Amino acid sequence: MKRRGRALTAALVAMICGISLPLAAFGAVPYAQIEGTGSTWSELIVQQWIADVNANGMKVVYTGGGSTKGRKDFANNSVDFAISEIPYQGTDEQGQADTSQGRQYAYLPIVAGGTAFTYQLKIGNQQVKNLRLSGETLAKIFTNQITNWNDPAIAKDNNGRTFPALPIIPVVRSDGSGTTAQFTTWMDKQHPSIWRAYFGRSGLTSYYPKKSGSRMVSQAGSDQVMNTIKGFSGNGMIGYVEYSYAINAHYPVVKVKNAAGYFVEPTQFNTAVALTQAKINMDTTSPLYLTQNLDGVYTYNDPRSYPISSYSYMLLPTGATDQRMSTAKRQTLADFMYYSLCTGQTKAGAYGYSSLPLNLVQAGFDQIARLKAADPAVELTDRDVKSCNNPTFDGKNLDKNLLAEKAPKPPECDKEGAGPCGYDTGTGKPATDDPAAAPEAAAAGAPPAAVDPVTGQDVPVAEGAVPVAGTSQPVAASPDTLSAERAGDRKPFGWVVVAELLALVLLPGLLAAAFRRRLAARGSLR
Amino acid sequence: MKRSLTRLVLVALVVGASASTGVTAPATADRPQPVTPRAVAAGDAWSRTQSMERELVAADGTTTAISDPATGKPWQVTVTADHTRNLRGRERVGITWSGAQPSGGRANDPFGPGGMNQEYPVVVLQCRGTGDAVKPETCWTSSFGQRSQVSRSASDATWTEDLHALAADTAKVTSAVGDVPGADKCPNVDRTGLLYTRLVPFVSAKGQVFPACDAKTMPPEAASDAALPANEIAAYTDGDGKGSVQFEVRTDVENESLGCNKQVACSIVVIPIVGISCEAGSTAVEKDLTVVERSCRRTGQFAPGSSNITNVGADQAVSPALWWAQSNWRNRFVIPVTFGDPPDTCDIVDSRAPTGFYGSELLAQAALQWAPAYCLNKKRFKFQHNQMPDQAGFSLMASGGGAAALVSSEYEAEGDPVGYAPVALTGFGIGYIIDRPGNAGEYTNLRLNARLLAKLLTQSYTGSSFGAAHPGMEQNPWAITKDPEFAALNPGLTDEALEAGATLLSLSNSSDVIRQVTAYVASDKAATDFVKGKADPWGMRVNPSYRKIKLPREEWPLLDDFVPKAGTECKAKNPSTYFNDLAAPVSTLRKIAEALLDAWPNVQTRCDTDLSVTPPIYKLGRTERQHYGDRFMLGIVSLGDAQRYGLRTAGLETRAGRYVAPSTETMSAAVKVAQPKGRRGPFEMDMAELRKAGDAYPGTMVVYAAARLQNLAAEDAAKVAQFIRIATTEGQHAGSGNGQLPGGFVPISDAGATRPLFDRAQAVARAIEKQKVPAAPAEAGPATVNPGTAAAAPVGDPAAAAPAAGPAGAPEAVTMPPTQAVSSQWSGRLLPVLLLLGLVFAVVSAVSRVVLFRSRR
Repeated sequence: MKRRGRALTAALVAMICGISLPLAAFGAVPYAQIEGTGSTWSELIVQQWIADVNANGMKVVYTGGGSTKGRKDFANNSVDFAISEIPYQGTDEQGQADTSQGRQYAYLPIVAGGTAFTYQLKIGNQQVKNLRLSGETLAKIFTNQITNWNDPAIAKDNNGRTFPALPIIPVVRSDGSGTTAQFTTWMDKQHPSIWRAYFGRSGLTSYYPKKSGSRMVSQAGSDQVMNTIKGFSGNGMIGYVEYSYAINAHYPVVKVKNAAGYFVEPTQFNTAVALTQAKINMDTTSPLYLTQNLDGVYTYNDPRSYPISSYSYMLLPTGATDQRMSTAKRQTLADFMYYSLCTGQTKAGAYGYSSLPLNLVQAGFDQIARLKAADPAVELTDRDVKSCNNPTFDGKNLDKNLLAEKAPKPPECDKEGAGPCGYDTGTGKPATDDPAAAPEAAAAGAPPAAVDPVTGQDVPVAEGAVPVAGTSQPVAASPDTLSAERAGDRKPFGWVVVAELLALVLLPGLLAAAFRRRLAARGSLR
Repeated sequence: MKRSLTRLVLVALVVGASASTGVTAPATADRPQPVTPRAVAAGDAWSRTQSMERELVAADGTTTAISDPATGKPWQVTVTADHTRNLRGRERVGITWSGAQPSGGRANDPFGPGGMNQEYPVVVLQCRGTGDAVKPETCWTSSFGQRSQVSRSASDATWTEDLHALAADTAKVTSAVGDVPGADKCPNVDRTGLLYTRLVPFVSAKGQVFPACDAKTMPPEAASDAALPANEIAAYTDGDGKGSVQFEVRTDVENESLGCNKQVACSIVVIPIVGISCEAGSTAVEKDLTVVERSCRRTGQFAPGSSNITNVGADQAVSPALWWAQSNWRNRFVIPVTFGDPPDTCDIVDSRAPTGFYGSELLAQAALQWAPAYCLNKKRFKFQHNQMPDQAGFSLMASGGGAAALVSSEYEAEGDPVGYAPVALTGFGIGYIIDRPGNAGEYTNLRLNARLLAKLLTQSYTGSSFGAAHPGMEQNPWAITKDPEFAALNPGLTDEALEAGATLLSLSNSSDVIRQVTAYVASDKAATDFVKGKADPWGMRVNPSYRKIKLPREEWPLLDDFVPKAGTECKAKNPSTYFNDLAAPVSTLRKIAEALLDAWPNVQTRCDTDLSVTPPIYKLGRTERQHYGDRFMLGIVSLGDAQRYGLRTAGLETRAGRYVAPSTETMSAAVKVAQPKGRRGPFEMDMAELRKAGDAYPGTMVVYAAARLQNLAAEDAAKVAQFIRIATTEGQHAGSGNGQLPGGFVPISDAGATRPLFDRAQAVARAIEKQKVPAAPAEAGPATVNPGTAAAAPVGDPAAAAPAAGPAGAPEAVTMPPTQAVSSQWSGRLLPVLLLLGLVFAVVSAVSRVVLFRSRR
């Protein structure tokens, strides 16, 4: 029943080629294990896909390590595939080659997501969970221009709410990272004057430049960035990770201002909205086919758009004579990606990612087809968008992203000059004022219903947008300030200084006078 | 029939994450026997003894034999394999040997190309074929350098002197003559006749010949530094002639070119390296021997038991690189192994949408085996286990995002009542990989108590001189290996302090596993006293940052903030919180298991300066893999992972002096202590009771399928009920097949100790199916049930509740009070007032003195 077609093909091929296959091959062509390294940005969902396809008999090993390592390992033929947020750059930061060293490959988009800024900021003992920042403020924070949480720019982003005087400690990645590359690309495009002055040149980098003498902390891997910020010593820290890491850790993220003036969180919806503006290189002859140009994403003026959204890519080996490839490995790659692009996308939201729009899934299938072009024995029958088990897709209009259409509008309190809203971030749940998403049915006992943009089914969205104010922290700004430095205490310390100065001037003279008087008194006694 | 099978399975235990230990209580008569799934199928072990020696032939034809100095006779090597039949891909076969020549120059990483610079190791390989069909050409190596010698000088051409070489090979094979592919295929082979080359091609299962003259002419699976590590190893023999490895076998799924499966027979080949036997020398005068003749007669530069930490070259004649040379190959042990049927797998083009269950990673290994039993059966729904923190899984379920959650403890229901059905009995273990000093083999009997765990968790070991500067911890040992309490429990281990010995690799996110670990710590008086600040008998104190931390808890925080002042330039330029870098918890248990498997601590204290570029580049992050022979690492693992990867787990103290390791008996004993909560709630295992029982394993945990008892769509409710019923019957049959229960889990059955779990599961399945349980707090047990939405307002906050009441109440911004200064209002004035007062008194005193002086006069 299963894979009979492929077994038959294999048998035919075997006969034609005259290769003596062992008897086992007539049962079912086995998959062969495939191995990969690369991005930690997309690792959380990739690991779940790997667990899922085990039921199909596919063995996939993925060990992360950062996008830069992934691209290098792929070039060195150490792996069957790699995952990277950015394409090969030609030359890397140290002037060494960042190419595939002649290994043939294609870019295959696998998942979308938002690069989130997670932070620890406490007012007294209470953690701030609804911080809002504009792009410019973020750029200035990560280039050491804004170094204290009480900076007026931060207060302005938060509609006048001033945070305590506490130094900002940016946490960056120390390893070669696609997350860093995405973030610096955005800074380079959106805030060139700030970024380039700091970086010393233009363009992106995978290794975040750290200036000596700054408070900036660097850590290897997304897990460690998260650990550092979550730790007790993390108060005042802010760093960048894929949204899923914040959700996993139950930790707040910054709501970033978009071009429409709304401060939004990188939920699957807001990311999907933003990525409708991604310009995908659709020139099939280009080596950069399917890579992303995100300029339109950064500036999209939809109120629901999360500006620092992007896609992650698999490097797929397409050479017919690829040294590491065999029919079984190509088949595993093709079916692993078939699962990931179709069914696998349905769980993107639950893990803090956003599913791919149909046009990219379609283009992804074109890339998978190149495996068959390299090796005709690869079986791709019935693996297409139509059989894709993903109700997000609109079969009539490939370019439509239903997720983006269903995305709720952000609440008005998240608008520039309003609010701030009180709800917690880092929960993966969208926020909105939209009455359509409100809990009409709550009283009836049934959870409120809405159309789940992922499954397209009517599902309860109790986790949804409704009570924006209801979930709020009572009032996040309890007016306790940290003891680190309190402006109000400057005056008393000033007086202490005055007293000390006076003492410094007067005491020696007074002591000398007293001493002399005592001597004189003794002398008179004698 | 089914019933009796279940019972049989009960007897045939599955757990025993540590194959070696059950309860390690000192000499108790009732010590339960550890059982592993493999021990059941007895009779598939393998053992042989062979004798071997090395001969050096002099010019006059006399032979000098290098043999066992203890007996003066050839080495009598005995090789044993613990099981050989019906293997699965990546299964580990225990290979042990005795009577071999002691090894020297231990490699840091003996796998693949890393193991080449050792002397007298035992090479273990997987080869296609059995008996005489096994040739070097069918044996797998992951790099060409492990099989071929390409363009070597005379001093590295010792194989040309091989006394036992076949007639065809006695002719010195240089690149000019012999069977070497052309320059188009093998450009790196010297063809001038100056250098020596010997290729050992690899022949794939399909008959394709790979010349193996460089990395490009190797099979597709061959790669150094690949994501899947090499399985071939040049293993170390200790001073007593003994050694052991856990050899991971590969099927055609993992290694298609090697191509082992049920039909294609394969072997594990064990080759004790005794060195190349050399043919007659050209002259009797030793110093006049040719370079290659002298090279061939070398006997090694490393002493037995030594290590080769800097990976310098070894004497080729006694190195594993020439395992294929007749002198070594003739001493091979060929252990035939058979592979089982690969389990049936689900069709990738199946159009049914999967139903996700969200939560506990403890179930991961079971879910991997269970899933195909659902998708292969059209009458069942398509089950998928989506791993995430228990809490996240539960709230996804409670809010309607998932049909069911998989958790191990009770959570507060956010709306509808929730039923908990036990579906698996498993737990956590403290996994370890520890080498005994002096290359004396692995330590297999680790014992830990609650206070030692408390010391590790609270980061009270200082790691190094950097951490030793932490205030309040001056008297604390650098690592657990320096702790007298640990040394007393585990004698004979190294007393060197490694940074990895200061930490227990743990989870960064919330998890029921952390709750259980900390509950164990909290149940112990000595441990809680330590946490509260009381010094242990040797003067060690808790890290002040963790003093009086509340236990138990489901998330372990990183509380230290100490940044060392001293250190290298790199550390000065990149200051970081030292104890956070030591602990460096990760987000999944699987990552911990893999770190243990690789003996690669997740300690993030590496700080190297690369001065070759200006400005210098700092390389920060994870420390290096640990060296074989010097491994010491501890981590929290799931028992399923421990069993799957062959990790050892520690015995934990229950009653004083009694150490209990996971096994069917000890985990069943723990279930006896469990008390059910409510009618559909989870079981509560009181840790104090459990420890009092003595023979119960404290890491025992039950995984529940938790689902709403109301307002769950009928379709989903039916799926969850089906899952519970299948999981508690078919899913509890021990085995490695589809739908069966893997190692690391104790079968739940309707008889014996696990019966309450079974009965509860069936009752909850019925309740979930019916969806009629009213939302009463007493029913499902949650203390507070907030009716309404998941995101209900905090009770007693009318302002917040109001907007949620209806659609009309659009959310509003929280009103922000102006942030006020909290500095004291009067402190600013106090000082000037005091100064003024002082001045006034000074004037008064001066005046009064003058007045008094005058009046006295």
